[in-house]
Amino acid sequence: MSATAATAGPTIRATGLGRRFGEAWAVRNLSFDVAPGEVLGLLGPNGAGKTTTVRMLTALIAATEGSASIDGRDVRRDAEDVRRRVGVLTETPGLYEKLSARANLAFFGRLHRLPSDVADERIRRLLTLFDLWDRRDEPAGTFSKGMKQKLAIARALLHEPAVLFLDEPTAALDPEAAFIVRDAISRLRAAGRTIVLATHNLDEAGRLCDRIAFIRGGLLRIDSPARLRDEAGRGRVSVLFAARADGLAEAALGVAGVRAATASDGRLDVDVDDPEQVTPALVRTLVGAGAAILEVRRQAATLEDVYFEVMGVRPGAGGELD
Amino acid sequence: MRPDILRAVIGREFAELVRNRLLLFTIIVPPALLTVAPLVVGTLVQGGERSLPESLLRQIIAQRPDWSSFSPRELAAAFAIQQFLIYFLILPAYIPLAVASFSIIGEKQSRSLEAVLATPIRTSELLAGKAVAALVPGLLAGWLTYVVFATLARIQYGPNLVAVVSDPSWLAGVFLLGPAIGLLSVVAGIIVSSRVNDPRTAQQIGGVIIVPIVALTILQSTGTIIVGASGYAVAAIVVAAVAVAGLRLGVALFGRETILTRWR
Repeated sequence: MSATAATAGPTIRATGLGRRFGEAWAVRNLSFDVAPGEVLGLLGPNGAGKTTTVRMLTALIAATEGSASIDGRDVRRDAEDVRRRVGVLTETPGLYEKLSARANLAFFGRLHRLPSDVADERIRRLLTLFDLWDRRDEPAGTFSKGMKQKLAIARALLHEPAVLFLDEPTAALDPEAAFIVRDAISRLRAAGRTIVLATHNLDEAGRLCDRIAFIRGGLLRIDSPARLRDEAGRGRVSVLFAARADGLAEAALGVAGVRAATASDGRLDVDVDDPEQVTPALVRTLVGAGAAILEVRRQAATLEDVYFEVMGVRPGAGGELD
Repeated sequence: MRPDILRAVIGREFAELVRNRLLLFTIIVPPALLTVAPLVVGTLVQGGERSLPESLLRQIIAQRPDWSSFSPRELAAAFAIQQFLIYFLILPAYIPLAVASFSIIGEKQSRSLEAVLATPIRTSELLAGKAVAALVPGLLAGWLTYVVFATLARIQYGPNLVAVVSDPSWLAGVFLLGPAIGLLSVVAGIIVSSRVNDPRTAQQIGGVIIVPIVALTILQSTGTIIVGASGYAVAAIVVAAVAVAGLRLGVALFGRETILTRWR
């Protein structure tokens, strides 16, 4: 029987979740839901508490405070049942390198108590899906990093879990291997799999996740990549001119709602309180000042901008932002 | 404890064991040597011209009156062969230690335990599986070596010397004290391996448990004491009690959280 039996509520629910090691809190006050079929990214720097969060949600370690459930099962009270319902890709593939790809998966099939015919069929299907079937009888130790990572993902999927937790799935992989793994995750996403992706790869999170939770010792912000970018981008308008923008910055600063303006060659970047209100007046003022405007665009923030804004630091910018 | 999960762990441990040449060498070669060495030594001593010193002969017979019917040469050979019983105790001591330390430290190095612990396996099942997989090769090696040795002794020696290697002291040593030492060795392997990251270091530290066996060898070789069946049985109980006490510490060190957060 598959462990994907859906419940009416969220697949994952964390409420005030926290874990302390000695006197130090690794993470605290984490509260969020993950809907069935959703891909949630956990973003944060090293030591932010991503792995600890994954371990608490997968019933590998106990929370010091708060609670969490997977598919309606409490991670503390029903820990064994929760582990039956989750698939985990750990930070390192952690394969038995002397054993073949097939033997690695067969062992985990037995740990999940899959009937041997079911396990055999799934092993064949997963190894085929990840293009490893032809090398099924070769020791895992002979595989490339990307192949090992794919085998580890196959291992995490073998028992058809309700949720797949991927901890840094492309860390330490070369671009080609990382592409292969991201492609595999994309396919799982397209298949409607609920996934939690812990990463500090912003581009990966932006491309693969429905929502992103920024974590650093606690939950800082959670939203869709588009909305996060949108919110971070709010307040900046860029204007491109046919000629140099000399003197136009002073003109822009005279517009109500403009906070700052920076001119460079044929471009003017303007920080405003509310782009929708201010932009029309700004354009009128600039045209009135003799500007030949080619283009006006609202600046789209990158996830990197969002990340540094949320984390409150920007490298080389003197540390904490105000 | 679910037998199918236990079998899965043991099966995987053995599958890795047979692919580890160094470990296989450790398991196979010393027992093979040990099968032959006592027979060669016994033959040389029995066929030699020299006898044991009179004082030592008296000391031996005082401790083993059942040997009083032996000729001086047979007595010398019996005394020489008796020394080798100790080595049949060393097999179940070092083989489980080697297997357990390779197994646990190997998993630490490959970081494969976290994926295993993320499954519904109970840590008691994982620990038991590893313990059985480490203990069985040592016990089998010890017992098999003894059976082969006893068979060859029957062919090579007369009935008197065969009786030496099949008397209750040997049976108690091989079949009671041996398993107890094996269990203690596994416990030592688990405890030490949780703290170090190199199998050889673990074996060197865990090898401390062989020290009492070596001390016994020295005492026996000087004729100071020759341990009989009851002595081995008592020793087996003491060693098993120490192993069980140590197992509690081993179980604590083998907790899911401990492995994930403290094992480095």
